[in-house]
Amino acid sequence: MQLVRPSSVEEAVAALRGGAVALGGGTDLVPLLRDRIVEAETLVELHAAVPRGVRRCTPTSTSPSPSSARFWIGAGTPLAVLEAEPEIPTTLREACRLAASPQLRAMGTIGGNLLQATRCWYWRLKFPCWLHGGETCDAKEGQHREHAIFGNERCASAHPSDPAAALLALGARIRTDRRDLPLAELYRLPTDDDRSMTTLEPGELILELELPAAESSIYVKAMDRQRWAFALVGVAAARVGGETRIALAGVAPVPWLVSSPEELEQATPLPGTAYKLEIARALVQRALAQL
Amino acid sequence: MSTIPTRTPRRTPSRTPTRRLEPGRVGDPATRHDGVPKVTGEFAYSSDLHAAGMLWGKTVRSPHAHARVVEIDTSEARRLPGVHAVLTHEDVPGQKNYGLEFADQPVLASDRVRYFGEAVALVAAEEPEQARRAAAAVRVVYEPLEPVTEMERALEQEPLHPDRPTMSHGYRDDPRPNVVRTMVIRHGDPEAEGEVSVAGVYEIGIQDQAFLGPESGLAVPDGEGGVDVYVATQWLHVDRDQVAPCLGLPPEMVRIHLSGVGGAFGGREDLSMQIHGALLALRTGRPVKIVYNRQESFVGHIHRHPARIWCEHRATRAGKLVNVRIRILLDGGAYASSSTAVTSNAASFALGPYAVENALIESTCVYTNNPPCGAMRGFGAVQTCFAGEAQLDKLATKLGIDPVELRLLNALAPGDRLPTGQQIEGSLPVAEVIRCAAALPLPQAESLPREAIRLPGGAGNTTRGEGVQRGIGFAVGFKNICYSEGFDDSTAARVILRADGSAEINCAAAEVGQGVSDVILQVARTELGTDDVVLAPPETASVASAGSASASRMTWMAAGAVQLACRAALEERKRAGGDEVDVERIYRHARTTPLDPETGQITGDRAHVAFAVAAMRVVVEVDVELGLTRVVWIGTAQDVGKAVNPLAVAGQIEGGTAQGLGLALMEEIQTRDGLITNASFTDYLIPTTLDMPPVESVLVEDPEPGAPYGAKGVGEPPTVVSTAAIVSALRDATGRELARVPVRPDDIVGL
Repeated sequence: MQLVRPSSVEEAVAALRGGAVALGGGTDLVPLLRDRIVEAETLVELHAAVPRGVRRCTPTSTSPSPSSARFWIGAGTPLAVLEAEPEIPTTLREACRLAASPQLRAMGTIGGNLLQATRCWYWRLKFPCWLHGGETCDAKEGQHREHAIFGNERCASAHPSDPAAALLALGARIRTDRRDLPLAELYRLPTDDDRSMTTLEPGELILELELPAAESSIYVKAMDRQRWAFALVGVAAARVGGETRIALAGVAPVPWLVSSPEELEQATPLPGTAYKLEIARALVQRALAQL
Repeated sequence: MSTIPTRTPRRTPSRTPTRRLEPGRVGDPATRHDGVPKVTGEFAYSSDLHAAGMLWGKTVRSPHAHARVVEIDTSEARRLPGVHAVLTHEDVPGQKNYGLEFADQPVLASDRVRYFGEAVALVAAEEPEQARRAAAAVRVVYEPLEPVTEMERALEQEPLHPDRPTMSHGYRDDPRPNVVRTMVIRHGDPEAEGEVSVAGVYEIGIQDQAFLGPESGLAVPDGEGGVDVYVATQWLHVDRDQVAPCLGLPPEMVRIHLSGVGGAFGGREDLSMQIHGALLALRTGRPVKIVYNRQESFVGHIHRHPARIWCEHRATRAGKLVNVRIRILLDGGAYASSSTAVTSNAASFALGPYAVENALIESTCVYTNNPPCGAMRGFGAVQTCFAGEAQLDKLATKLGIDPVELRLLNALAPGDRLPTGQQIEGSLPVAEVIRCAAALPLPQAESLPREAIRLPGGAGNTTRGEGVQRGIGFAVGFKNICYSEGFDDSTAARVILRADGSAEINCAAAEVGQGVSDVILQVARTELGTDDVVLAPPETASVASAGSASASRMTWMAAGAVQLACRAALEERKRAGGDEVDVERIYRHARTTPLDPETGQITGDRAHVAFAVAAMRVVVEVDVELGLTRVVWIGTAQDVGKAVNPLAVAGQIEGGTAQGLGLALMEEIQTRDGLITNASFTDYLIPTTLDMPPVESVLVEDPEPGAPYGAKGVGEPPTVVSTAAIVSALRDATGRELARVPVRPDDIVGL
C-alpha cells in the first residue's frame, strides 16, 4: 500500500484520481481497511491539503441580526477542536462532544465524520447483504435493534454520525473541490441501481463547511451506556432565522431531517426497532422544549 | 458451625489513593505490588513478550459455524515471503484432540469445524503482516452444514459429537442427541404442594469475559526437543498436561511460565495459543509469538453459558418455601470445556441460600454450533441467581411480604441441608449478611436540577428529570468455594528459607489480577515473621501444581499451601541448625465425592467444600419514556470468612459487581447462525467508570473453620448477586417483568 501526502487541494484531487482513497483522521477508514471492507492501493493523506480551523464570517452591514452570522469550518478540523469551540452553535458543539471517545475525537475530522460508514454488523462482517450488492438486507431478518426506522425499505442500516445530524438541523452547506451544496444534498438513500449513500463523485473531496449561527440549538443522544457509545437515537434541533429544524442520528441509513414532530409518525420501524420511535418521540419533544 | 465469635461486620477502609507500598501481613490492607506498574503502563503483559529471532504465529480460523472440511491446501501460503511453517492437523505429532476436562476439541480441525473461528491451520513468519497474509493464503475448502443453533432443537438434531465424549463419566445417562450433561436433583417430595405459587421463565444472554489483554504468549524451543511456553493463563500445570500429549512429549519437556495476565475471569482456563505456539516453535526451531487481535479474542475463548430457566416456587401463605421446581437449559456451544461442572453448579445453587424441604431441579447443557461456553466468574450460579431471586421478588409481591423479610424467613443456616443432602458444616452467615446489606442506609433522593451525568441517559443529556422513576432492589447470591464433586485438587508451595532469614516462595498460583501474589506474600511474611520475602515467577518446573485460579479457590488454597510450607520450613531450619532449607508442601481441602447420577444426592459427606453468600441492595433511576437507566448506588454485604487483605477484597467486590452490572444492562454476544456479529469493543459494550455507581461494602467476617485464617474466596459472589440485584431495582422502577438479561432500552420502552 502506498501513502501519498499532498500539500495542496489541487495535488490531493489529482492524487485521488484513479481509485485512491482519502485518509482524514483514519478513525473509521483504518478499521475498514483492516477488515478488508475498503480496499486501497493508494491512500491520500489529507492532513496538509484540506483546510482546518473555525472562523466566524463577519455579518454584512445590511443584516446585523445575530442569525445572519455564519461560521466557516475547514473539513480537516478534528472534532476535539469543535467540541471546545465556544462560539459555534450548541448543537454542533454538543454533537462533537458526544461523539466517540476523546482519542478518536482528537484524530477524527469533521469532513470524515460526515462520511462515516454504518456500524451495521452484517455489512461490517461482509454478509452478502443488499448494501454490499446482494439481494436482501440481512438486518431485517436477523438481530436489528441498532437499525433504522426511516428510509429502511432497501437497507436498514443506521447512520452513526452525531455531528451530521447537528449540521443538518442547522442547514449547513458544504463546499467540495467542484461544487457548493446544502449538506442535505450530500446524502441520498441508496437505490437498486446505485447503492451509495452520498452524492459525492469518485475522487470528490469535501473541503469546508459553512453554517449559520443559531438563536438556539441543542443535541441530545440516547445511548446504551452513559457515554462512549453510538446513538440509538440522536436528536439535533436548531432555531435559525426564526425557523426550527430537527434532524436525527442513528435512525436511518443517512442523517435524517424531520420537518415537524408529527413527521415521526411516518416512521417504518422494524419489529426490533419500534422502541427507537418511542425514544425519538419523547426526545424530540424534550429537545424542542429546551430550545 | 463456626465457634469463633467475632462476627462484627467491618466497613472497608476508605480508598485514599496511595503510592506507598505496604508490605502487609494477613489482615492488613496491603497495597498490591503490581498496582503501580499496571497504572503507569510499565507492567509487562503476555502480549509484550519478545525473544531474539522470534517469529510471529497466526491462526487460520473457520468462517463457518458448522462445515465439513473438504480440503486444505497450504502450498501457496508456504511460498510467500518470510513464511517458515504452515501446519495443519497432519502436523500434530501427538494426540489430535485436547480439552480441559474432555479431549473433544481438535488441536487443528481435520474433517469438520463446529464453531465460528475454530482453528484449522497455523502459520509462522518473520513479520506479523507476513503471517497474516500467509494465513489468508491457506486455501480451505468447506462444505457448509446446517448449524445447530437453538438449544431446545439441539436435543433432536444430528449429534455434533456422535462419540459422546462426556458420557460414562459417572453422569446421568441421557440418550438424547447433543447432551453434554443432564443432572437431576430430587429432594424431599418433589410433588409437594404449597398454598401459593409463582412461576416464570428467565433468559440469560451470552456474556463474554471481555478481558482487555488478548490471548497471547511466546513459545521458545529449548534446543533439546522440549519447549517453554510463556503465557497468560489461569492454571499452569493443567496447560502443561494438555499441551505435552499433543506434542507427543513427556510433561517435563514442556514448561509453562506465567506471563502478565490482562484479565481472565474464567476465559483463560481453556487453552488458546499454547499448543499452537509450541507446535510452531518446535517445527521452526525459533521462538514463536502469537497475539490474538480483538475479534480473534472474542471468538478464541469460551463464554458464559446463555440459559433458559423455568421456575416454580411453592410456598405457604406465611412465605415459607415448600417446594421449588426448576428446569435449566444451558447452551454449551461446540465443545465441552467445563460445561459439565457448570451444569452441576447451576443446579446445585439454583435454590439460593434458602432452606427448602422439597425440590426438583433439572439442569441440561447441550452442544450446539454456537460459540463454545465454559468458565466465567460465577460459573452457573449467576444464571440461576438471576432467575431464583426474581422468583423470590415475585413471591414477596404476591404475598405482600417485604422481600428482605421473605429472604430472612427462608435463610439457610449452618446445620441445614442443601437439596443435595449435604449438611452445611462450616460458616454460612446468610441471615447476618442479609441484615447487614438491608441495614445500609439508602442515599437520599438527589434534587433537580442535576448535571446530566447524574441522571439516566448520562452524558447524552436526555432528561432534566422528565420520565425518571427511582427503584430499589435487593438480591442474595450463593455459591460454592473450591472445586467439588470429587474433582478434588491441591496446591503446592515451596519455601526456600535462607540462613539470613530471607525467604523465596515458589507457588504456581496464577496472578490474574485478583491479588493472589499479594496474598501469598502476606501469608509468608506472617508465618515467617519477616518482610524479607520474595515470590518467584510461577512456572511448572519449579513447583507442583497450584490448581486453577478459579472457583474462588486460589486465596484459600494458596494461603493453605504457603502456610503449611512456611511452618515446615521453620521446623526444618531449626533441625538443620539454622542452615538454608528448601521444602515443598501440598495443601488439600476437605475431600468431596460425586453426586448420585440419578438423584443428585451426595454419595459421601459432601460434594462441595464450602459456601459463600453476598447480599446486595441497589438504587436505580430509570427514564421510563426513553428506557435509559442509571445505577445510583450499590450497598453490599459479603461473607468473606476472613479478609486476608480488606483493600483487595473491596476491589474484588467492586470489580465483580461491575461485571454483573455489565450482564444486567449491556453485555451480550450477538450471534447469527452461530457467527459472532459484535466481536469488538465498539459493538460489545462493557461498563465504563461512568456506568459504575459507588459501591459501599460491608465485610462479614465469620471464619471458615477448615480454611487457613478462616478465609473464604471472594471473587465470584459479587458477580453472582449483582445482576439479580440490579434487575430487581429496574423492575421496581418500571413495573415490568424484565425476565431476560441484559435489560436494554428496548426492553423498557418496547411493547
